[in-house]
Amino acid sequence: MDGDWDELARIPFPPPGVHRLPTPVTTMTFDTAQELLWAGNEYGRVTSFHGSKLQRYTSFKAHTAADGPDAPVRQILVNDKGVIVLGRKDLHMALRRGPPIWHIRHGDMKDLQCMSFTSKGAAEIIAAGQQNTMLVVDLNKGEVVKQVPTEHHYSIMRRARYICAATATGTVNLLDPVTFAVVKTWNAHSALINNMDAQHDFIVTCGYSLRQGQAYVLDPFLNVFDIKKMSSMPPIPFPAGAAFVRMHPRMLTTSIVVSQSGQMHVVDLMNPNTSNVRQANVMTYLNMFEIAPSGEAIALTDPECFIHLWGSQSKVHFVDLPGHIDVAPEEEPHPPMDWSLDTPLSSIGMPYYREVLASAWPENVCDVGAPPVKFDPQFLASLTPTDSYLYGRNSRGLRRNQVEYTRDLEKNANAGLKAPKFLSEKARESSQSATGTSDDKAD
Amino acid sequence: ELASHLSREVENGRIARLMMKLMAINERYEFNGEQAWSENGDKYILKLFRDYAFHQVDRDGNPVLDIGHMIRCLNKMDVGIEEKVNLTSRDGQTTFIISYRELKKMLISAFGELQTGKT
Repeated sequence: MDGDWDELARIPFPPPGVHRLPTPVTTMTFDTAQELLWAGNEYGRVTSFHGSKLQRYTSFKAHTAADGPDAPVRQILVNDKGVIVLGRKDLHMALRRGPPIWHIRHGDMKDLQCMSFTSKGAAEIIAAGQQNTMLVVDLNKGEVVKQVPTEHHYSIMRRARYICAATATGTVNLLDPVTFAVVKTWNAHSALINNMDAQHDFIVTCGYSLRQGQAYVLDPFLNVFDIKKMSSMPPIPFPAGAAFVRMHPRMLTTSIVVSQSGQMHVVDLMNPNTSNVRQANVMTYLNMFEIAPSGEAIALTDPECFIHLWGSQSKVHFVDLPGHIDVAPEEEPHPPMDWSLDTPLSSIGMPYYREVLASAWPENVCDVGAPPVKFDPQFLASLTPTDSYLYGRNSRGLRRNQVEYTRDLEKNANAGLKAPKFLSEKARESSQSATGTSDDKAD
Repeated sequence: ELASHLSREVENGRIARLMMKLMAINERYEFNGEQAWSENGDKYILKLFRDYAFHQVDRDGNPVLDIGHMIRCLNKMDVGIEEKVNLTSRDGQTTFIISYRELKKMLISAFGELQTGKT
């Protein structure tokens, strides 16, 4: 963290509705391809913020009220195609621009908490939580491809050489990213793990111990595990109480540790005595911390529902080669036109095209000449008249807007009297059974 | 005389057919509660497009009835051009940026589902 790092932006996280109180961020992540920060709320909503001013970009609902009022966004991952959003009981994938790609709800999704990419790069994830099944999902197909039973319930997952999965009891399991078998269990903290990161050869954790069997207290150190040697390293002291930690994405042995009160230390795991200290201005305490893939920006959140962005004013960027951000162009103004009855609708030209138009209807046979529906006098009598119409219950035994074949009715009514028929009418009658079941294809 | 009359009205049928497709899909009561039509489903976006094309308002929130805008939107969707639009939900909470090409694809697939009775 260079000397010129400072708070660059502090924005209120949008409340869940116009007249609603703001709610804190439930999870956030920096995009890996664009200058975006993704944040989720308690109501299943995901919002993206662009650039060093954190301007609101897109927003969509990943989990709906059908999941119950409690449908928080648990974790967000990004890959080249879009964003993957984990809820308790469902998984949603959307384009960065907002439109959905797919949505999965599965019987074995009971209380998901975390997910991680697997051995297949960013094309597959494994999701786990407070449940006895982990689900492997193919992100290209949007399908659950495997269910893996597990004895452990996981709350945080991070992908390094192994999938590092934190349990609710303070241990970290190293899972094989191909078979998902537990390779090694590491007892990181005595009570529980508050935050964890993993990169290449290291796992770093912040956690709690139970003091006098009463209160959970943040441990005044950072725990480190060396994946190469498969053993823990001496803890790195952090007297202020280590609450959050991230490995620096560029400096492979460097981590950034943050206390709840906003003290930030940049520590080299191999040389813990040299550290760089900064203080974030927080009114109460911090409840989340993330670092951008470039290492040139960090984001913090607080319970007052603000997102703070830190970085160097002159060179802040989230990713090294940011992709183009799609925005909608302003509709070009068009000359005022007099839309009287004489103006043909074709005055507005069509864009150039070579494919079949969306307006192309399928070829299907429709009966347009049938007489209108005759209402049963009994039904009409059941209605209450007003000045201009009748109203009452639908007591006709038909669905709302149900199609009625009035030609048949007419025929029955006039059974004794055969009116002469046009040839076309006869032909249509003979093919009537076909019209009812016509199933022509579109285009 | 006849030819000029014809050329004036020749686009009407196409616009009417496209609008009928849109009307046949939007707000179908049978689909209430289905995921694809709920706020995170792809058909929700067709509803937002209807609002975008036909429910324009001015700065003060008064309706704007610009037939030119409506026809332009329909024409662009009919062709499915790459141009993108910003669709926003009524509560202002949801914002999508989507191309007319994607909208066209959604319309065709939603209409196809109506035809086959599979939703």
